[in-house]
Amino acid sequence: MTVAETPPDYSGAHKGEDKTFEGVWDTPKGLRVLSSVSHRVVGRRFIYTGFAFFLIAGFLALLVRTQLIVPGNTFLDLETYNQVFTMHGTLMMFLFAIPILEGFAVYLIPLMLGARDLIFPRLGQFGYYCYLFGGIIVLSSFLFDAAPDGGWFMYVPLSTQAHTPGLSADFWLIGITFAEIASVTAAVELITAILCARAPGMSLTKMPIFAWYILITAFMIAIGFPPLIIGSILLEAERLLGLPFFDPTLGGDPLLWQHLFWLFGHPEVYIIFLPAAGMVATMLPTFVGKPLFGYGFAVAAVVSMGFISFGLWAHHMFATGLPILSLSLFSAASTMVTVPTGIQIFCLIATLASGRPRLTVPMLFILGFLSIFVIGGLTGVMLASVPFNWQAHDSYFVVAHLHYVLIGGMVFPLIGAFYYWAPHFTGRMMSERLGRWVFGLMFVGFNVTFLLMHITGLRGMPRRVATYPEGLGWDRLNMLSSIGSYILAAGIVLFVYDFFRSRRHGPIAPRNPWGAGTLEWLYPPVAPGFNFHAIPPVHSREPLWDQPDLLEAEAHEVEGVMHGLRDGRRETVGCDPVSGAPLYILRLPHPTWVPMIAALGMALLFGATLASAYWLSGVGAVIALAAFAVWAWEPSDSGVTRDAGMGHDLPVNVVDRRSHMHVALVGTMLVLMALFASLVFGLLYLWNIRPDAAAAVARPEALTAGLGGLCGLGVALAGQMTRRAALADRFGITTVLSLLTAALAIAAAGLLGLSLGPVDPWVSALGATLWAIVAFTGLVLFALVFWALFNAARRTARRVGPGQSMPDFNLATLAKGAGLMVVVAAALFVAGAYGGVG
Amino acid sequence: MSPLARQITAIARPGLAWAAHFIAIYALISASCAARALIDHPTVVADAIVATVVALALCLWSVVAAPKGASADLRRAAFWGGLIFALACLANAAALVLLQGCGG
Ligand code: HEM
Ligand SMILES: [Cu+2]
Repeated sequence: MTVAETPPDYSGAHKGEDKTFEGVWDTPKGLRVLSSVSHRVVGRRFIYTGFAFFLIAGFLALLVRTQLIVPGNTFLDLETYNQVFTMHGTLMMFLFAIPILEGFAVYLIPLMLGARDLIFPRLGQFGYYCYLFGGIIVLSSFLFDAAPDGGWFMYVPLSTQAHTPGLSADFWLIGITFAEIASVTAAVELITAILCARAPGMSLTKMPIFAWYILITAFMIAIGFPPLIIGSILLEAERLLGLPFFDPTLGGDPLLWQHLFWLFGHPEVYIIFLPAAGMVATMLPTFVGKPLFGYGFAVAAVVSMGFISFGLWAHHMFATGLPILSLSLFSAASTMVTVPTGIQIFCLIATLASGRPRLTVPMLFILGFLSIFVIGGLTGVMLASVPFNWQAHDSYFVVAHLHYVLIGGMVFPLIGAFYYWAPHFTGRMMSERLGRWVFGLMFVGFNVTFLLMHITGLRGMPRRVATYPEGLGWDRLNMLSSIGSYILAAGIVLFVYDFFRSRRHGPIAPRNPWGAGTLEWLYPPVAPGFNFHAIPPVHSREPLWDQPDLLEAEAHEVEGVMHGLRDGRRETVGCDPVSGAPLYILRLPHPTWVPMIAALGMALLFGATLASAYWLSGVGAVIALAAFAVWAWEPSDSGVTRDAGMGHDLPVNVVDRRSHMHVALVGTMLVLMALFASLVFGLLYLWNIRPDAAAAVARPEALTAGLGGLCGLGVALAGQMTRRAALADRFGITTVLSLLTAALAIAAAGLLGLSLGPVDPWVSALGATLWAIVAFTGLVLFALVFWALFNAARRTARRVGPGQSMPDFNLATLAKGAGLMVVVAAALFVAGAYGGVG
Repeated sequence: MSPLARQITAIARPGLAWAAHFIAIYALISASCAARALIDHPTVVADAIVATVVALALCLWSVVAAPKGASADLRRAAFWGGLIFALACLANAAALVLLQGCGG
């Protein structure tokens, strides 16, 4: 043993050098477990919380079905009915489907890719608490008898102050936005984890297919969620402050909400489908005993699905009177998306045909998925045709279609995944016998409920009606649908029972119980908290199949990098994003409360806003900001080199574009750009659609806007110069340049604001949108200033050693992005000043 | 660029081309069919043809010159991705061929 005995000559935080390797990775005991940041703990929390929301939302669905079981029923009053179906859709889409799948990804990705943890464990914890608190806010509306009742897509004008007074819509907008922060942070975290922390030799082509699915999904979340976040903020601003974004009398447009909502909402469907399909593509080869057929096809299909799903949003707006030419464009794209979908299904079926599948419970759920999802896809193609859509719009046909896609495409794979990965959570197998019953009940119940709804819909029953008169030919169908839903529910109850039963009484799971090929099964369930003693080099996509030495030895004796490294820190290997070659050592944070406190601060901010206690909102904001500062105020670890074994001498962190921090920052910039682009879309949209109103808006001042744009250029330039100086270890200059960057950013924000001096945001939607652009750009600039000053402070406080230029390196990327936003905003303002907003 | 990086580029390129093409077509349609009526239909068609030709070229580049090298699977991904996106670009443009105006 060489490395283990050398004294810890590393710089940076001295956190646990007295502890053993196992001790360093231990999950804290007792209540302190809440401070855990491990992806295993956080991932499980996402999964369990998500499932709890599923049960609640499922219960609401049963209320709906019970109300509809006979015509003229009075089980629920009309008002409650609206709340119940709205909350059902909302909980299912926002608080169940996405978070639970992200939970599986958070849990599985490091295990599959050969990492000891996600790269940003604290972000994971932060995201979880945002999700939890956001979900609680949404749910708590029931307590105040203010549950949202405007449908899961909250259309305006129904959801404006005039038509929905009271707090119900605010609960929705604020709670959901909060929970979405969790999804977005998890997305950035997953992108970075997939690109930067893989086992040695795991190039992008050797990645398990699941990682491709999650990578694309994460990019889709990063780009797809911002439009809704912006939409929600604008709508909340309209409700709270009276800014007229969607008010047609002041040049706004209700359809803008629909555009923003569905720009998110359609990709959302694919965001739900892709990870589930990825789980299927992972489980299926195990049971067939052959690798996935056509990995290359699958990658092509996933990538193209990711892109094309962004070009479909207006197919939810076919009945709103958009120009036919527009409709044709969206109809064409909607039809085209079936090509990659078809290819994926084809890959799965070809895999199925390439061997003799073992009919285990997960396999049954995969077959259920294939059959149900294909039907849902076919009705989707029907709906993509405009004339048919006009007939079926807002009828039970749509309800049937969307549940075929969502339950078939997501719930069936999910339950299958629980059966498959349960040994990871409990160390035991779930019951094959009960599992068959679960499947049978769910499959029969599902089809009875929803197959019939197609007919109900074609016979003209509209969705979202609390009751219906007798004798329209809907009675029998509804009765059967309701009975079916009880059967489906029985299946789910049985599943929950089986899960809890197996925790105690299930057979102990052996190592690699299903004979799978991917790395998460390297250790016997339950794998230790650090995932891997040594991270084995990987030569194939199914390492456990193709590298027999991995399963021959005891798991902790497997050869790999990082074996004897004992720094008293949580560490894993960072890799080249493309080739997977080990590049650096990643030092990971230990359990901490800080992210939770940050999330609590934000919860206070949002909750107090709901209660109109604005001073309390301020307190929350301060708490959150302070927590973020503490979070970031860690001594830097970079600048030392360690022997990671197998001939790899690796530095701690690298300062270049391939580093995890930089990749994460690029991911974050993507989110910020998407937010900004959503605002610009709104501006151009209103300008284009309402020339009459635009003509009446006061013009921005060209001179100040132009100067602001120049400052924006300056911000980018100064940021880049800071990076250069920092890389050259020129301390004094770097500090000065950081300060200059901050000063220019302040100037840019001020000038942009000044140029809108003549524009009154309260009298026109266009003016309000202009101001929203300034506000958003200002926020980004504020973050930049905060960070630049922070870097300068650290340098002044001598917390930065030679070679520790990562924060300055990354700041430059943010500065360039912020600079770009300022320049675009300034250009729009100048155009508005000269061309006239009108 | 490493062979693998070249393949990744060849996979991403058609997607980005399709996205740009979609945005272009949507913008052209919006510019001519909304209340402001910035441009007339012939302009839309002419611009759309240019955009489509460029986008098709970018997509098919990955098809005819799918880079060999690192992985046969990624080569196949680039090839099929290119084809799917080329088809999708044609579908985007199809509406402009089939309709003679904004169509009410
Ligand atoms: C567990 C079994 C389920 C049953 C019995 C069920 C039943 C229903 C019914 C009857 C409606 C129509 C209500 C109406 O229009 O009046 C509905 C709406 C809806 N469901 Fe489900 N559902 C189930 C699961 C799911 C799942 C898993 C998801 C999503 C992942 C989902 C998402 C939705 C959405 C988005 C709506 C539309 C809500 C709205 O109109 O605002 N449902 N569901
Ligand atoms: Cu859609």
